[in-house]
Amino acid sequence: MNSMLETGIPKLDEYLSGGIPKGKSLIYLNYPGVEGDVFGMQTLYHCLTTGNNCIYITSSSHPKMLIDQFSEFGWPIENYKEKLTVIDAFSSLVGDLSSEKFIVPDPEDVNSITEVIDQVIKEVPEGSVFIFSSLSTIMDLCGEDNTINAVQSWNKTAKRNRMINIYNFTAWPYTESTLVQIKNDIFDCVINVGGITQQVIYGQYFCVSKADWLKFQTRSMLFRVLRPGGIKIYLPKILVTGPFNAGKSTFVHSLSTRAVSVDRKGTTIALDHGHIDYKGFSADIFGTPGQDRFDPIIKMISGEAMGVFLVVDSTNPENFSRAQQMLEITTGYGLPYVIIANKQDMPDAISIDDIRNQLNIPEEIPVVSTVATEKKGVFEAFELLVDKITGGI
Amino acid sequence: MEGYSLGIDKLDENIKGIRGGSNIMMIGPPMSGKETIINDIIYKGLNSGESAVIVTTKEPGENVIDWFNYNNLEIPLENLGIVDCVTKTLGVPSSETSNIKRASSPVDLTGIGVKISQFFEYFWMKKNIRKTRLCIVSLSTILMYSNIQTVFRFLHVFTGRVKAQGAIGIYVVEEGMHDTQAIATLKQLFDGVLEIKQKEDNHYIRVVGFGKKSSPWYEYSLDGAQIELKDVANDE
Repeated sequence: MNSMLETGIPKLDEYLSGGIPKGKSLIYLNYPGVEGDVFGMQTLYHCLTTGNNCIYITSSSHPKMLIDQFSEFGWPIENYKEKLTVIDAFSSLVGDLSSEKFIVPDPEDVNSITEVIDQVIKEVPEGSVFIFSSLSTIMDLCGEDNTINAVQSWNKTAKRNRMINIYNFTAWPYTESTLVQIKNDIFDCVINVGGITQQVIYGQYFCVSKADWLKFQTRSMLFRVLRPGGIKIYLPKILVTGPFNAGKSTFVHSLSTRAVSVDRKGTTIALDHGHIDYKGFSADIFGTPGQDRFDPIIKMISGEAMGVFLVVDSTNPENFSRAQQMLEITTGYGLPYVIIANKQDMPDAISIDDIRNQLNIPEEIPVVSTVATEKKGVFEAFELLVDKITGGI
Repeated sequence: MEGYSLGIDKLDENIKGIRGGSNIMMIGPPMSGKETIINDIIYKGLNSGESAVIVTTKEPGENVIDWFNYNNLEIPLENLGIVDCVTKTLGVPSSETSNIKRASSPVDLTGIGVKISQFFEYFWMKKNIRKTRLCIVSLSTILMYSNIQTVFRFLHVFTGRVKAQGAIGIYVVEEGMHDTQAIATLKQLFDGVLEIKQKEDNHYIRVVGFGKKSSPWYEYSLDGAQIELKDVANDE
């Protein structure tokens, strides 16, 4: 069997150079409101299907609901009864009956959990995988310091027995020292599962923020959760808009690994479409036509966009009011955006500062100098927009 | 921006609207009709083109919808989201519907938070609705399963989300179930309080925290789903 344990999360195993080595611990550090719990569930199901022995510690739902919860994603865990051990750390809390063999008598006492884990370790083979459905619930019930200490001892035990510990954890506003220890100290691997937030959370991403067996860290990957299906990588849609003849199509083509345009006599009449893979981040790029008679198309395409490039011709300030109008159409939902000051190589191009002033662009919005025909500045602009979308993670 | 009204005439006239982003605790004794008042506030919002998200910890989601039907209150169902924390704890297999998402239990604050966020995103991004009422009915049940610090952290995040999107949040608390320190801790998170009290057989309601001074106590009675306020009580 492979010495690395695959998580079963698309792209993540690639980022982790094949998965998690034996004896290591991994935490999915979930931003509140983001569907991070599915990560632990998907990893559990994947581990079962790849022949691993798994122990699932359920802290916030009754074990009898597990089959139901997993079947929502199309994961029939009931077919793997031989390989799956459940530790019920919930029923006693609500005074419910449980038919599980391993029941934590007092889920509000972390020692009570440790005793049951120790008991289970004696019965399961070396190399088994422990998955904690919600470490934050354990922390809420048992206290921050007690839980941190217990996790350290659970991780030591795992190392000794060449087991793997995987935790789901919701990063509620615990004390700073607890969060710092979780992010930096007590786990071998930390996967941040975050939300892209403006007024509401409108996108979700994950990234490896720590993996002590790796030299490299990766950029973020966006995902969606499908029922059935679980976590699927999601290619964000990025919109390129701007007035007529600003260089939008050239910008799309110079940024994209591959691109097509629907145009007539050199002018885009439907849209440009490109795809980019850059430093581990992928996106679909859509360029809109510039003339106002195509505005309904812009509204349509901007519906599901995650970020916007507004391209302006630095030599043509007369078109700036149209540019502002297009920005209003596309960022109506509060999307992050970056201004592309294109054609900066032309002798009559006006300065970045003048463009910022004339377009009335706030300080925190980047205005990037580009020469799209020579690919100058386009990737810097892309990185800035990705950082805006993911909050710099 | 005085963006919201409760839909309870005399109170609304007194406080002259509630600013978007406000979080309000509703506290009152058991059996004083808090659920009816909350449902009425939701009903008025839904019928003014707003969306509403109800977190229900006492009744299954279907019962909440049935209440509106039973009282002949027609609501645009497509703008209502319910986070049901009850059905799964009963062990009844049940799937989600377009209106009802189900958390594992009232302990599952992570799950409750995810479902609230999904409804917020849906109403804001997909339906383009800019005004939302979030109602948690009730915080007291959540506090029975989780300690005060845990609930405080959860509320700290979600009162912040309510602020960020200019929604309003109303959180129901049963009077007498929690010590005064717990109530004082929670109050830090709220901009105002809807207070209900009982005196002999009569019920009174007032709003504290909006405007320079508290509104007077209004005696009220419930007729089916209708809340009727009488003039200001003389002895208050």
